[in-house]
Amino acid sequence: MSKQEANAPHPRKVPQLPGPLSLARLEEVFADCADFKKRQVYLHGDSSRRAAVCYIDGQARSERLNDYVLRPLAQDPMLASVPEGELFALLERGALYAHGAKRVTELDPAVFALIDGSCALFLEGRDDCLVFPVATEEKRSVGEPENEPALKGARDSFVESLRTNTSLVRRRLRAPELKIREHIVGRQSLTPVDVLWLEGIADPDTVALLEERLDAIDIDGVEAAGDLEEYLTDAVRSPFPLMPYTQRPDRFCQGLLEGRVGLFADGIPLGWLVPGTIDQFFKTGQDRAYHWLAASALSLIRWLCALIGLLVPGLYIALVTFHPEAIPPKLALSIVAAKQEVPFSTIFEVLIMLLAFEVIQEAGLRLPGPIGATVSILGGLVVGNAAVDAHIVSPAVLIAVAIAGVAGYTQPSQDFGSALRLWRFLLAILASLGGLTGLALGCAALIYHLAELESFGVPYLAPFTTGTRVPRGHPSLFRLPLPMMKWRDGPIQTRNRRNQK
Amino acid sequence: MRYAHVGGGGPGAPLLAAAAALCLLLSGCSGLPQAREMGDMALLRTMGVDASAAGVAVTGSTGPRARGLQAEGEPALVLAADRASLSSACLAMQGQSDSYVFFGYVDQLLVGEALAKEGVRPVLDYFARDRELGLGAQLWLVRGAEARQAVTSGGEEGLDRRLETLRHDGDMGIASVARTAGEVYTDLLEQGCAFVPALALSGGEGPLVQGGYGILRGEELAGFLEGEEARGLELLFGGPCGHVLDLALGDEGTAVRVLSARTKSSLELRGEDLPALKVVCKVDARLTEYRDPPGEGELERIGSLVEARERARIEGALERLRSWGTDCTGLGAEAAMARPAQWQALREDWPERFAQVPIEIQVEVRIQ
Repeated sequence: MSKQEANAPHPRKVPQLPGPLSLARLEEVFADCADFKKRQVYLHGDSSRRAAVCYIDGQARSERLNDYVLRPLAQDPMLASVPEGELFALLERGALYAHGAKRVTELDPAVFALIDGSCALFLEGRDDCLVFPVATEEKRSVGEPENEPALKGARDSFVESLRTNTSLVRRRLRAPELKIREHIVGRQSLTPVDVLWLEGIADPDTVALLEERLDAIDIDGVEAAGDLEEYLTDAVRSPFPLMPYTQRPDRFCQGLLEGRVGLFADGIPLGWLVPGTIDQFFKTGQDRAYHWLAASALSLIRWLCALIGLLVPGLYIALVTFHPEAIPPKLALSIVAAKQEVPFSTIFEVLIMLLAFEVIQEAGLRLPGPIGATVSILGGLVVGNAAVDAHIVSPAVLIAVAIAGVAGYTQPSQDFGSALRLWRFLLAILASLGGLTGLALGCAALIYHLAELESFGVPYLAPFTTGTRVPRGHPSLFRLPLPMMKWRDGPIQTRNRRNQK
Repeated sequence: MRYAHVGGGGPGAPLLAAAAALCLLLSGCSGLPQAREMGDMALLRTMGVDASAAGVAVTGSTGPRARGLQAEGEPALVLAADRASLSSACLAMQGQSDSYVFFGYVDQLLVGEALAKEGVRPVLDYFARDRELGLGAQLWLVRGAEARQAVTSGGEEGLDRRLETLRHDGDMGIASVARTAGEVYTDLLEQGCAFVPALALSGGEGPLVQGGYGILRGEELAGFLEGEEARGLELLFGGPCGHVLDLALGDEGTAVRVLSARTKSSLELRGEDLPALKVVCKVDARLTEYRDPPGEGELERIGSLVEARERARIEGALERLRSWGTDCTGLGAEAAMARPAQWQALREDWPERFAQVPIEIQVEVRIQ
C-alpha cells in the first residue's frame, strides 16, 4: 500500500467481513489468534456424526460451554438417532440448554457473536452454524461513586458494564416510557453505546440529533470519554465541557426526568446527559437531598467560588500593580511590607505560583494516594513556607493563589474547573498587561465565548439568557423548595413541562 | 422552537480580536495603565501644607510599615519641599525619595494656621483634581504652628496613628468632630463657611492635642471656637457626644454624661418682620455618678441644670458664629427644607441675616 493510500480516508465497510459463512473462512479470520479455540466432538460418541464448537477463550464462560453445549452433545442419545436431515433443526430448537440459539449463515455476524462471547456450532457437511450465548459476565461490582460522594442518598455508581448501568437506571425509572436504543461505535472496538430517554418528556429532536452524531462517528475505538465527547459536542475548541456527566444513577435519572437525553458507553463508568447548560456543572447529586435553604446557600457559594477562582489572581495583579489606590490602606500597608525584599515582580510571582500550584496538583494526582499526599504537603506547605521565609515570594501572593486554587476545588465538575483554571491564567496575563482594563476585557471575552456556545442546539448560558420567548425553568443560582419546582426547564425543549401536580 | 445558530464562532470573533490588538499596538499601548510595583513605593499617609515665602510648603510623612524599600526599624520617611505651587512641591518630593512616592493613601491633611488665614481653597481644589489624592482625607487645622512642625512631631512612628485614633474618637463623640476634606469643601461651596477640627502642639513642639474648631468663612480662617463654645458647636452639629457635666446638687456631687444630641432648626414666621430661627436641641444623657438614686423631683432638677448648661454652650457658640456671619452647621439650610419660599428670599444674604435673625433656642434633655 502506498503512503498516499495509507493516509487517505476510507469509508467504513459494512459489513466488515462480507460473504457466506464456513468453518474454513471462520478459521481464516481468526488465524494467528491464540485465544480462538475449536473443539471437535462426536455426537453421543457416534464417530460418523461430527460437530465443531468454536469460541474465544476468555470471552466464553467455560462452565456454560461445558454444561450447556458440550455435555448435551456428548451425552444426548437422541442426537445419534435422529435422521441427519433433522439434526440441525433439533439442535436449534432445544436439544441444547442455552437460552438462545440462532442460525447464522453470514460470516460477519458469526465472527462478532464469537467476539461477544458466544460459541458457534458447525455440523459436518454444513456451512451455516448455530450460535449459543455463553458469554462470561466478569465485571466490577457496583460500588460507591468516588468522585461524587453522597452524605445523604444512594451510594451506588455506574460501572464499566453497559447493561449493568442500564439496569441501574431501569430499577429507578420503572416506567416503560424509558427508551434505550443501542448504537455501535468504533471500527475496531465496536463499542455498544446506548441512548436513553423518557418518551413524552425528552425532546425527540435532541434524541435524533444525538443518534445522528453517534452514527457519524467513524473512529477506531471508544476507549475514553473524550472519544465520544469531542465528536458529539458542538464546539470542540472550547475548554468548557458541553456534556455534563455523572457517576451517580440517581442524578442521571433526575436528568432524564428533567427531559435530558442520557448516553452510556460500554467500558466507561459514567453517564452523560445532554443538552448541557452551564447550571448543570454547578449542581451536585446532593442538591435535592439537603434542605432547600442549605442547598441554595451551597449553590451560591459554588458560583461565588467560581468567580473567586477565576478572578482573584488577575484582580490581585491588577490592583497591586496598576491600581494600588483601590486597595484599602491597611491592606496596602501589609502588602507593601510583605513585598519588600522580594526580588520578583508581582506579575512574575503570581504566574509562577499559579504554575507551581498546577504542578503540585498534577504531581499529587499522578502518584499513588499516600505518596501524592506527601508531595502535596511537601510542595504546598514546606516549600511554600520556605519560599515566603526566604523572601522568594510574597505571602500575599501565596494567599491569593491558594484562595483561587481552593475555591476552584468547590466545582462539582472537574472539567468545568479545568476550563476555569485555563481562563484564570489568561485573565492573569491580561491583567498584567492592562490592569483592570485588561481584566475587564478578558471577562468580556469570556462572556462572549460562553454566549456563543451551544449544546445540541441549546445555548450554554440558557438559564440566564433565554429571554422572554422561551419559558424559563427555576432559578439556577439557588434551589426553591421542591413543591414549588413544578416546571421542567424550558430551554431544553421538553415535551411536557409540568413535573408535578 | 429550535434555537437558530447565530454564528458566534464564525470569522467575526478572531477578526474583532485582531482589530483590537492592532488598535492597541498602533496606539503604542498608551491607553493601558502603567505598572508600578507596590514594594517599591513609599506610601505617604500624612501631608501638611503651609504658607511659605516661596509660595507653599508641603511636608509628607509615611507611617510605620509604609516605607517603601527601607528596612524595618528605620524612622518614617518625611519629605518636604517649598515651591511656588502644590504640584511643583509634590513633584519635588517625588525626587527626594529612593522609592516611588505614592500620594493615593494620604489619609490626613494638615493645614497650617497661616495658610488657613490666606485661604484653604487652593489646597482643596488640588486635592479634588489630583489623580492620586482625593477628598477622602481627614482635614485638620494646626493652630498656632505650622503643619510641618505637626507632621515632624510624629517622630519615628509618624502621625497617622494618632490622627486615626482622634478620628475614631470623634466618631464616638469623645473627641472633636472629625471632618474630611470633601465635607469641608462641600460646606464651603454650598454654605460659604465650614468648621474644621483644630490641633495644637502641646508645649509648642508636640504631641498634638485637640484645639477646638477653626471656622472658615469663604475660604479663609475666621477664628477658633474652643472650650464651652466648641461643645456648643458640637451640640448644634448633632451626633454622638461624649462630654461629662459635673453638677453640684446640695452636698452631693453628681455626674451626667451626655451621650448624643440631635438638633433641628426651623423658620418661624412673624408677619412682615424677619422670621425667627428656632433651634431645638434634644440631648440624651445618663447619670453616671450619684450617691443615692435620685427621685422624680431630683431628676427634674438635674434635667433643668443640664438644660441650662447646654443652652449656655449653644448660645455661646451661636454668638461667636453670628458675629462672623458663619452658619457653618447649616441651621438655615435645614430650616429651609420646610419653608423653601421664605428661604428663597433669605438665601442670597443669609450670612448677614444669620447675624441678625432672632434665634429661639429650646433644649430638651432626656436622662436615662
